[in-house]
Amino acid sequence: MLEAWHLPGLTGAPAEWMEGRTRTGKRFRAPVLSAAEAGSVADAVLQATLAARRERTVEQIVNEIARAAARLTEEGLDATTARELLRAELGWSEELSRETLEGMGRAWTVESLTRLVESEFSSFAVLDGFVTDPGWTGPGRRSRRAIGPPVVLQVLAGNVPGVAITATIRALLVRSGVLCKLPESEPGLLPLFARLLAEQDPILGRAVAATWWPGGSFPAIWREWTKWAGAAVVYGGEHTLESVRAALPPDTEIITYGPKTGVAVVLPDSPAGAATELARDICAYDQQGCVSPRLVYVVGESVLAFVLTLAAALEEHTGTNPPPDPSEEEAVAIRAVRTAFEFGGYEHGRTSVEAPGDALTWTILIGDDDSVRTESLPRVVWVRSSPSVTSLEDVLRPLEGRIQTLGYAGTDGLEKLAEVGTRLRVGRVAPFGSMAWPPPDWRHDGRNQLLPLVNWTDFEVPE
Amino acid sequence: MTTSAGSRAELIDALTAELIAAFEAWPGKGSSWSEAVLDEWAMRVFRLQIEGIPTYRRYCESRGVGPEDVRSWREVPPVPTAAFRVVDLIVGGPEAARLTFRTSGTTQGRSARGRHLVRAPELYRASLRPTFRAYVLQEDVQAKIVTLPPSFTYDSASSLGWMLDDLRTGLGAGDGLSVATASGIDWQALASEVQRSLDTGRPLCLLGTTVGFAEWVDRMERDGGSAVRLPEGSVAMDTGGAKGRAGLQRADVARGLVGWLGLSPDRVFNEFGMTELLSQRYAAGEPPLPLRGPPWLRTRVLDPATLDELPDGDVGILSHFDLANAASVCAVLTEDRGRIVGDGIEWIGRTAGAPPRGCSLATAELLEARQHA
Repeated sequence: MLEAWHLPGLTGAPAEWMEGRTRTGKRFRAPVLSAAEAGSVADAVLQATLAARRERTVEQIVNEIARAAARLTEEGLDATTARELLRAELGWSEELSRETLEGMGRAWTVESLTRLVESEFSSFAVLDGFVTDPGWTGPGRRSRRAIGPPVVLQVLAGNVPGVAITATIRALLVRSGVLCKLPESEPGLLPLFARLLAEQDPILGRAVAATWWPGGSFPAIWREWTKWAGAAVVYGGEHTLESVRAALPPDTEIITYGPKTGVAVVLPDSPAGAATELARDICAYDQQGCVSPRLVYVVGESVLAFVLTLAAALEEHTGTNPPPDPSEEEAVAIRAVRTAFEFGGYEHGRTSVEAPGDALTWTILIGDDDSVRTESLPRVVWVRSSPSVTSLEDVLRPLEGRIQTLGYAGTDGLEKLAEVGTRLRVGRVAPFGSMAWPPPDWRHDGRNQLLPLVNWTDFEVPE
Repeated sequence: MTTSAGSRAELIDALTAELIAAFEAWPGKGSSWSEAVLDEWAMRVFRLQIEGIPTYRRYCESRGVGPEDVRSWREVPPVPTAAFRVVDLIVGGPEAARLTFRTSGTTQGRSARGRHLVRAPELYRASLRPTFRAYVLQEDVQAKIVTLPPSFTYDSASSLGWMLDDLRTGLGAGDGLSVATASGIDWQALASEVQRSLDTGRPLCLLGTTVGFAEWVDRMERDGGSAVRLPEGSVAMDTGGAKGRAGLQRADVARGLVGWLGLSPDRVFNEFGMTELLSQRYAAGEPPLPLRGPPWLRTRVLDPATLDELPDGDVGILSHFDLANAASVCAVLTEDRGRIVGDGIEWIGRTAGAPPRGCSLATAELLEARQHA
């Protein structure tokens, strides 16, 4: 039984438990908290946050976070535990678990976190205290300081593993404490990180509380925690967002990360090896990420030629990184969409399928009409042709604001592609091989990561 | 060696006639066909199907399966039901169809309705009637057949409507009655038939959908009707399941019919059929009693990921082989979950749509959400 909770301030053994199962059937549990207990936990988080504000600089916080996070990725007992956790919760292979943790971990190092803070703020100092504004043209002087709310409520419904940690780190960097509702799909990793952080730095460890309760239910802990939230961060779809919005006062800031999709573009001069890089991006996180490519456009080249190289690359990648078995529902859905494309092709010749026989390890759907369509099924991509880069703008218009990453291979038409991406409000235009692994200071959903959390205080002093 | 279209038509018609004779010669439940007999039929029918349905031939060829490769009904490549939504699977092409049945499914909210083109309604009838007699209504019971769902007259795309019309007009004394109207069920007419049965002592054979019977039971409960005891030999048969209606349990409906009509539980039958298949299975009593069918309808339970056959009792995806589909495709891979129970199957339900995972969603869902907003 996996313990899916980290609840500082909870005294005594819990009397009652809630149990859940991940899609692999892995059982986990979390305590049922009364309103009073949930309040004690929230208060413990608040007190630890206030203590951290007094006793830690942001630089120190960065160092402590990085030390705890490194234990998830650097060889050792904790990293083994983390990989075993993902394997049990998600049915992932050792290779996929390792790749994901190491990939996410690259954003949790001192260097990456420093880069993130410095990309959005001039320096750490503005999060530690007032910093003189050199651009001030008024009388006297002005200094400025940024700080997050004492408590951020995080609701994780739809996300890939590791995102709960990333979200928590973002809050800690702006000196906020965290109350987090864990996702049923992967409830174990954040509590593990929080325990490591608590071992590393007890104050910071107590500034994070995380637990699980069934989605769609609104237990006492939910009603209590929403009272403490100075802001909310929501990863999930419309239903999740609606329930959070309904529970919080109307003036509470809600930062949402909704579902997105990834589009890959093969430019006419794409280099050899592009398919290999794309296959890696497709298979990362078992294609569960908003950064995962699902729709591939081949510009001005033979779709079939690229499909064959992509098929070979997917076969090789899944051979060395065995994917988890699809669920029964996914298996049926993959077969249904394959059947539609295969029989449709026999009938009218406009669609076809590349797949490893009846095995479901990967699927390439080749279609040639004008509609934009992808599937949210594991390792399923749709490859289409496009006469030019500029024509993609109209084709992808229905997805405006919904594309997280626009991937590319080649240089011919790249500048135009970036322009198209801008007009489609794409968050990131990036080469194949890095679509799934954004840099630490990327603009998630096209926005800053830390700035939306903070409030600025301007301090003006006339001479 | 391939066959010309003209001689292929003759061959399939001759084979159909042979199958009709074989179906009609079946003495009923308790009598099965040997695997060898079924395999022999499977080989003959498969050869005609891949010659007569180009899309099926290409499907089989892409899996390396030709006519010489099939030695058993188990080896016939099953066609996923999704194919019926994309292409017409009928020997001789759509122009050979004498009936066109449409599936009700709008799976995942976007797929077109599938269709099953029927070349030989006689073969459908030849499978339907003996199986119904064997499992539901013995020939010597002169029950009056009353059907609740819309007749084929109202919905000429409904395989269920055709089936019930055929049973109503072809079995029993031939004086069956449909209580369906263009707008639904004529409850008054149904009540009158029940009363007439009670008055005359002639048994009733009530055929309807699970949803229709549920509504009837609800009405009786709501209106404070009186429970009755239908004459000996009466039966009820429901089909179709809950069709996604929240809270509707087939077992509750069956219990309602037992309570209100005085039928014994083993006289309340459940029928399992699909638009894509022309043969049916039946069960009586409380689940999970096995749904049994004729010997020309067989079912395998497959691992959803590998399509390997699972041991008896394990839950997987149902894949049927139905010789009554001789002029379309006999082997049909469903999206249904179930398992082998004794000499029949238990149907557990339709596989739910794959839930979204992670933070990546299908564009259809993204676009739908946008339209919603």
